[in-house]
Amino acid sequence: MATTAVTSAEIASEAPRSDFGRVLAQRERRFAAALLAPAFLALLATTTFPLLFLIYTSAFRMDLAMPFTNGFIGFENYQTLLADERFWTSLLVSLVYTGSTVALQVIVGLALALLVMDMKRGQGWFRIIAILPVVLSPAVVGMIWRTFMLAPEFGIVDYLAINAGLGSKNWLGDPTLAMVSVVAIHTWQWTPFAFMVLLASLASLPEDIYEAARLDRASAWQRFRRITLPLLRPAIVMVVIMRTMVALTAFAAIFTVTAGGPGTATEILNLYAYRKSFTELSIGYGSALAVALLIVTIIISGILFAMRRAK
Amino acid sequence: MTAKRLRVFALLAISMVFLLAWTFPIIWSVMNSLKTDPDVLAYPPKLVFAPTLDAYRDVLFGSGSILPNLLSSAIISVGTTIVTMLMAVPAAYALARLRFRGKKFAGFYVLATQMLPPVGIIIPYFLVLRNIGWIDTYQGIILIYLSFSLPFAIWLLVSYFEDIPFEMEEAAYLDGASRLKTLWRIIIPQVRGGIAVTVVFVFLNAWNEFLFAVVLSGNTVRPVTVAMFNFVSVEQTLWAKLAAVSVLAMLPVVVLGVVAQKHIVKGLTVGAVKGGGRR
Repeated sequence: MATTAVTSAEIASEAPRSDFGRVLAQRERRFAAALLAPAFLALLATTTFPLLFLIYTSAFRMDLAMPFTNGFIGFENYQTLLADERFWTSLLVSLVYTGSTVALQVIVGLALALLVMDMKRGQGWFRIIAILPVVLSPAVVGMIWRTFMLAPEFGIVDYLAINAGLGSKNWLGDPTLAMVSVVAIHTWQWTPFAFMVLLASLASLPEDIYEAARLDRASAWQRFRRITLPLLRPAIVMVVIMRTMVALTAFAAIFTVTAGGPGTATEILNLYAYRKSFTELSIGYGSALAVALLIVTIIISGILFAMRRAK
Repeated sequence: MTAKRLRVFALLAISMVFLLAWTFPIIWSVMNSLKTDPDVLAYPPKLVFAPTLDAYRDVLFGSGSILPNLLSSAIISVGTTIVTMLMAVPAAYALARLRFRGKKFAGFYVLATQMLPPVGIIIPYFLVLRNIGWIDTYQGIILIYLSFSLPFAIWLLVSYFEDIPFEMEEAAYLDGASRLKTLWRIIIPQVRGGIAVTVVFVFLNAWNEFLFAVVLSGNTVRPVTVAMFNFVSVEQTLWAKLAAVSVLAMLPVVVLGVVAQKHIVKGLTVGAVKGGGRR
């Protein structure tokens, strides 16, 4: 892009021995520092400081309901956590929720993107419609599904189920169905995201490779396996990474639809940390759970980024 | 029927199913918001009914009006957008165009802050705000919203700043304009489009946020996404009103989303299509 343009930055760095260059470079650094300072101070205050404070509070017993028992307890919260069955359940629920929603989003999104790429007309409709779920608040989406879509004997899903001969189901009251429901809602809202990204990526693929493949009599499936998938790989991996990060810390939709219930059937780790801290008011233990979630997030994103680099 | 015809029909059928699946919950909420409660509850569901604006009148002007909550949402979203942009535009410019030591680390830091789970941030933040009495205040909520809006805005803006040719600012600079003046007069107008898209996204994210809002809001500052719960209780659900509130909460984001439709994919995919080369 700007390979031939000579910028003041380049003058500054390429002529470091002249006084003029040094003055320019120094001026540039000061200017950069001044421009970055407000944003970085705000980020320090709203992300880094809370993180350090979180790790600190996780070493305390801090029950807002029973303040007299509070005090420093070192790693005790983490020992409790390792023996806490509800923690392991919530971790499992998190992994199932994240794995299934991300897989569904990518598979359905990709299939649909391929389908729409083939369409001569009507692509514009898909692009506009796909925006809608993505821009909605997950809290509002959750509320709509909980009431107008999934409510037993009244919601549309139940109406369809009855007419399909399946009978009325307690969509949010049955542990398995509740999990299926929250996965379906998340998939409903975010598949358009995967669809839009993959469609944009598909549209940028070079047409001549396909021409050559067609001349070589490659079947549609072969073209997909040998050309489309490898070329799309960076975009797919990126979608998986972005969607995984969001699904791991999904909150609003599950909170509004099931609040983690029935029991702990849809309680992902994120929600457990919230419930512990703000419903049961055990802030210290909640902090330890949040730290555990952070560690899980780092491990999973590490694996995904390694996958992106491989090959 | 030929195979090709069959294919076209199949395509059409599948696409219709998807378009319907994506729009139906939204359309159905709009329809329910125009019904009376008995009509909402009718079985089988009523597709044809006498529309009424009663639900909207009640939720906007009746007792327990959600107008203050819509106002709260608006103040929080606009406030977050203004503060975010004031900080993000200079920072993004520096990251995209200037040369300084530690630039790579600075970029990585901004990216890494996005990885923190919100629930981890809100616990310590809640404790601090409680001590300084900032729970249930606009400044308390707007400040914490910077934790997710700033990194996002900075990265999005960096991608726009990187697209403008260096010659422009160089010419101005050599003509004797100061760096700040160059930034303000020459560079900012070049990325006006990118700034507009960023504003839309920051506003959307702030309007839609829920976890922080639930923990930090009270009786004075309660955004509409939280206030919505008043219409669903164990004893009864106020069906038509709930639908009306949902539609009102959706309205600004849907309008913005459709208006900014052409640019939204870029915002969603910063780094995704390029493969995140600048990481």
